[in-house]
Amino acid sequence: MERRDFLKNLIVGGLALQLAPEVLAQPASPELAVVEGESPATITREAIKALGGMSRFISRGDKVLIKPNIGWDRTPEMAACTNPEVVAALVAMSLEAGAKEVVVMDHTINQPKRCYARSGIQDAAKAAGAKVLFTDEQRLKKMSLKGEWLKEWEVFQDFVEADKLINVPIAKVHSLSRVTLGLKNWLGAVGGNRNQLHQKIDQAVVDLGAFFKPTLTVLDAYRVLFRNGPQGGRVSDTRLQKTVVAGVDPVAVDAYGATFFELKPQELAFLKLAQSRGLGKFELEKVRIEKRAV
Amino acid sequence: MKRERSKKYFWLQRLRILTQVVFFLLFFVLFLQTHYPGEDYLKVAVERFFHFDPLLFLTASLASRAIYAALLLSLITLAATLVLGRFVCGWLCPLGSVHQFFSFIFKKARVLKPRKDDQASLAPKYLILLVVLAGSLLAVNLVGYLDPLSFLYRSFAVFISPLLNLGLAQSGNLAYWLGLKSLGQAISQAAGNLALNGVFQNALLIGGLFLLAVLLNARKERFWCRYLCPAGALLGLASRFNLFKLKIDPEKCINCHLCSIHCQTNARPYPAGDWRSSECIYCETCAAICPTAAISFPAGWKAEKMQGVDLNRRRVLLTSITGLVLAPIFKISPLRRRSNPALIRPPGALPEPEFLGRCVKCGECMKVCPTNALHPALTEAGPEGVWTPVLVPRIGYCEYYCSLCTQVCPTGAIKELTMEEKVTVKIGTAWVDKTRCLPYALGKPCIVCEEHCPVSPKAIQLVKVDTLTPEGVVATNLAPFVNVDTCIGCGICENKCVVMDLPAIRVSSIGEHRSSHNRLVLPVVEEQGE
Repeated sequence: MERRDFLKNLIVGGLALQLAPEVLAQPASPELAVVEGESPATITREAIKALGGMSRFISRGDKVLIKPNIGWDRTPEMAACTNPEVVAALVAMSLEAGAKEVVVMDHTINQPKRCYARSGIQDAAKAAGAKVLFTDEQRLKKMSLKGEWLKEWEVFQDFVEADKLINVPIAKVHSLSRVTLGLKNWLGAVGGNRNQLHQKIDQAVVDLGAFFKPTLTVLDAYRVLFRNGPQGGRVSDTRLQKTVVAGVDPVAVDAYGATFFELKPQELAFLKLAQSRGLGKFELEKVRIEKRAV
Repeated sequence: MKRERSKKYFWLQRLRILTQVVFFLLFFVLFLQTHYPGEDYLKVAVERFFHFDPLLFLTASLASRAIYAALLLSLITLAATLVLGRFVCGWLCPLGSVHQFFSFIFKKARVLKPRKDDQASLAPKYLILLVVLAGSLLAVNLVGYLDPLSFLYRSFAVFISPLLNLGLAQSGNLAYWLGLKSLGQAISQAAGNLALNGVFQNALLIGGLFLLAVLLNARKERFWCRYLCPAGALLGLASRFNLFKLKIDPEKCINCHLCSIHCQTNARPYPAGDWRSSECIYCETCAAICPTAAISFPAGWKAEKMQGVDLNRRRVLLTSITGLVLAPIFKISPLRRRSNPALIRPPGALPEPEFLGRCVKCGECMKVCPTNALHPALTEAGPEGVWTPVLVPRIGYCEYYCSLCTQVCPTGAIKELTMEEKVTVKIGTAWVDKTRCLPYALGKPCIVCEEHCPVSPKAIQLVKVDTLTPEGVVATNLAPFVNVDTCIGCGICENKCVVMDLPAIRVSSIGEHRSSHNRLVLPVVEEQGE
């Protein structure tokens, strides 16, 4: 390039940026959308919209797997499982974005059929057009997780084969990892003796988080469980937060989720491990957050 | 002479076979429906078959000294038998149909060759009935072992159900292997919805007895019905006024013996006058098979010359005495002094003596349990309690919001509970084994039992525990501490404990709601006022 051309370009480019910056650099969409409101479905839709819309994440013809927390035989007002309306909204949005198939699935802790029914997720997700499937032992395969601690573990193939993964945890307290949010939700995608993971839970959730890289994490904090976690048992163990936190960075979503429990993200060992593993950033001051209320 | 079989009885026989198929399918559909339907309460009385069994009514009422209203339906069966004879055995009983089917197969395969003149005594079933009744008089309920519905249902619940489950899993596996992903998926989802329980303790014993009962048909047609069935015996005794009586037209009879050879229960249709009405199950085989249509069953109240029950006074007396002497032996058990820690009964189970009086060991509760927690006891409940349900937390736990076992018990041995009642029922208490628990014994973090405790506030609380490790380091961890007052003994802690062989937290029966002596401490009553 000639010096003259270079200078010319510099001047023209500089001028262009001065006059119309949006031409060159699109305004960066937020990394985290935090939406508050009365309706779980509406705030979920708004959060995805704030991130740039579902079509930013789902392509036409995609097979999408949505992974809520359906772990317990509990009704939605117990806040032990993900809010069914949040799940249903994501199903509908995925289909609207052109997904070929949306599967909703979780490896439950209580008896599967009971959890699927009482959580309300089976009915809501089916009505929204999803295939709601029980996990199938026949589909477990020992896989190399290449984790710091978990070298290999049995994984349900559905989670590996899906084109896009959407993680939809619910925000709850937990006596060992202090909170259970998005990263810990991946315990529901594996088989084997999952309870042994608790002996090194922080490392385990990071290893799992590094293996299942979700397209999107949508944290349901409509009703959060602040006591007697992770399954509660009384409505008084829960608190209405009426918020949904969505983002591509699973660590940032969890970091924001921690604040619902008066915890600083740096207090959580698994978030530090996750950041140093390169899964995302927990320092919320460095994250572009967009807050909305609807 | 014109040789022609009776068209009427041919079609009547077909109708009987059709009825048998329909009733067996009904039994099987209700069996499959005995599972969590997706809501808290079952809409269909899946245990209805049992309510029509007069033997269960008689024995359970006698043994428990109480009448369970639903079993009054069995009086319909009894009344019908009084008028029509043992048609229930031939047309409706699902176990009878199973035996009949295998007898047919064995005959076709020429494994079973019925003889012309079978003299074997048909008395054993009456003697079995007498022993069972004698036991009931002494409050020992023995009916469950050989009652046909209990026998069949138990075999299906404990033996057939795991086989079906295995079959589903294997066919799903095969479908995936063949690349038929959607078929594999359909199979696994069906399995998830059917929720068949996959493992049972003592399954081999119960399954083996079922296979034996089936194989006995290779020796005699309907072996069980002829010689063993106490319910058939009871109906036999009741069938005194059979409205339809066998009649042989001597003009037509060619003395071929076909009717006697193929009589399913050896009721001796031939020669005329030998017919044992209390053995006849109205299968219509004799009338249909007769080459000259000489046999018919015209209606008539007039007493014909018939043979009574194959019994005599001496046998009845001897057996009754034997029963009365033997039955108390079942009561000699140390369990009367000291409770068995492993005898965890389903929620809603009556106090042990009443429970044993009513339980007919049918396995309905074992079938319906969504976590495969209920198993047939072998020694846990003493001699009377073999095959009564016992909760084995290591295999399955009592699901907090589930009262299904209390809804399906056909005799009320497990009292029906609403969901509100169920969640308050204590069936035992959990105990931490500090020599095996990870935080206590190894200084390693683990809170799995606490995490799973369904009670709020949790009955398993966490306390900080210091453990000195060989390196001289003190490891401080949160460790479980059970609140015995709020623990309901559901067993999910034991079930989910990561110490796989002998869990580090285990439930024992102490504190169970139904016992006044199997308790740890007296209930603390707050002093009022002053």
